[in-house]
Amino acid sequence: MSGRTFGRIVSYVVLVLIGLIGIAPFLYLLLLSFKSQLQTFLEVPPTLHFDWATIKSNYGQVIHENQYLTFVENSIIVTGIATLISLALGVPAAYAFSRLRFRGSDTWASTVLSFRFMPPVAVAIPIYLMIRYIGQVNTYPGLILPYIAFSLPLVVWIMIGFFDEIPREIDEAAMVDGLTRPQVLLKVLLPLARPGMLVAATFGVIFIWNEFLVGLYIINSQDKETIPIAASTLLTVESPIDFNVAAAVGVVTVIPVLLFSIVVQRYIVRGITAGAVR
Amino acid sequence: MAATAGDAGRIRGSRARLPTQGRGEVLLLLAPCALYLAAFSIFPLITSLVRSFEDYNTQTDTWRWVGLQNYSELIHSSDFWTVVENTVLLTVVGVAIQVVLGTALALFFNQQLRGGSIVRGILILPMLLTPIVVGLMWRALLDPNWGLLNWIFVQVGIGQVGWLSDPNVALWTLVVADSWQWTPFVFVIVYARLQALPHEVFEAGSVDGANWFQWTMYLTLPLLMPAIVFAAVFRAIDAFRTFDLVYGLTNGGPGESTTTLSFQAFQNGFEFQHYGYASAISYVMVLAAAIGVTLLFKVVKVRRLETA
Repeated sequence: MSGRTFGRIVSYVVLVLIGLIGIAPFLYLLLLSFKSQLQTFLEVPPTLHFDWATIKSNYGQVIHENQYLTFVENSIIVTGIATLISLALGVPAAYAFSRLRFRGSDTWASTVLSFRFMPPVAVAIPIYLMIRYIGQVNTYPGLILPYIAFSLPLVVWIMIGFFDEIPREIDEAAMVDGLTRPQVLLKVLLPLARPGMLVAATFGVIFIWNEFLVGLYIINSQDKETIPIAASTLLTVESPIDFNVAAAVGVVTVIPVLLFSIVVQRYIVRGITAGAVR
Repeated sequence: MAATAGDAGRIRGSRARLPTQGRGEVLLLLAPCALYLAAFSIFPLITSLVRSFEDYNTQTDTWRWVGLQNYSELIHSSDFWTVVENTVLLTVVGVAIQVVLGTALALFFNQQLRGGSIVRGILILPMLLTPIVVGLMWRALLDPNWGLLNWIFVQVGIGQVGWLSDPNVALWTLVVADSWQWTPFVFVIVYARLQALPHEVFEAGSVDGANWFQWTMYLTLPLLMPAIVFAAVFRAIDAFRTFDLVYGLTNGGPGESTTTLSFQAFQNGFEFQHYGYASAISYVMVLAAAIGVTLLFKVVKVRRLETA
């Protein structure tokens, strides 16, 4: 066997190992969710069971007793609205930063972007008090309002990168034809920047879908909890856990993320690297 | 690379020549975003600063000015310094591991392998997961009685490890879980940069008779450096405010051994309603984040990455 072939074999072994390390925790969770409570404790290492009654009981408990579908609905509403509004606010701002020259424009851009790194815990209490002041504790707007602010810097960051890639000559030509700046943005650039908006939306969705620190302050009634807020109360370290049911909670929580990521995978890579450009 | 630098220069030139540009346009485009951030980010941040000089009374729902008392309590509490140490260790060691592994992964995937793109797809997943579920996964893997990892460790003769129960180990468990989730982030950035390098780089290396190790050390890595530094600083700022993973995996324990600054601020605010003290802790983090961000923008400005 030549050294080259040997090298290839080692490479493939390493490749499989990397894949396994990446995916093993998911598979382990899936496996646990198929077991009865007794089996989780007694079978080490776990073996795969495909006992329909157990599966139905575990997942049934999550979906019916724990009102999981309500949480999914809450998550979709909150994430959808907050992402759309942060695009509506962020895209024009990114366009201005990319195209217009005004005093301190770079400083302003950096300031907006730096909010991407603000520790949420530092604003959680004031935001909770604000939301309480306007009477929106335990409501969708109570979550949506701060979540827009959290995803906005990311949207601006990503969109500046995409606008910078569109040649300025296009704007100039459109303006020579008599369009104003806002018209150029709406009619000419938005269609061109659609991939960028998908990337920005993807990141907004991921971020908002997973947020729960501020959510814990604002939501304290079960019927308005989003998935991570609900999961965090179901899965806290302190509470005694039936790991098979907890695993089912985990699987049900992860599945929307998995489906979503398969659809948007290329946007995710694009977004992380677009962040790197700025 | 040279061509893109030229493009940037040309674009900058045309920017300056651009004809009409009223103050009104700038305002119209920017004001909604700016006002929103002012209301829901800047205002809360300022409030937080003010609250850090005050004391909250739960019974009467009132605030009382106490000056620097919260901060002096903080400095004189040994808990606080333990927590600072935890946070710094988690950040420094975690990010170091992630940078080394992420870069190694990027170099590894730089060869043509069947199925490579599938494995790259798998590697994206951990980053997207709801952090609370990441905690659950790792708790299941590490369970002392029936967890898979302990079983493997016993089989290979190392014996039981108190992943989450041993105060000397728990923080490193956190580092492992954090690295599992975030090494892919470094990988994606470094890999994108690697793909963007011109092919001549690699051809020149092989023509000169340099071996893989030499050309990686002296040619590829220096070219990747801007991307690596960017990823490291970016990750470090995020790791410094780690909250979710602690909440889901260890709840700060045993004792204080895995409590991070974010988690301590959360405990004081959310559980004990020591809002003033919690604000003081979080302001230490805001300052650290500000330093990190300044550093990041220095890195990005000096060397614009061309990875997208």
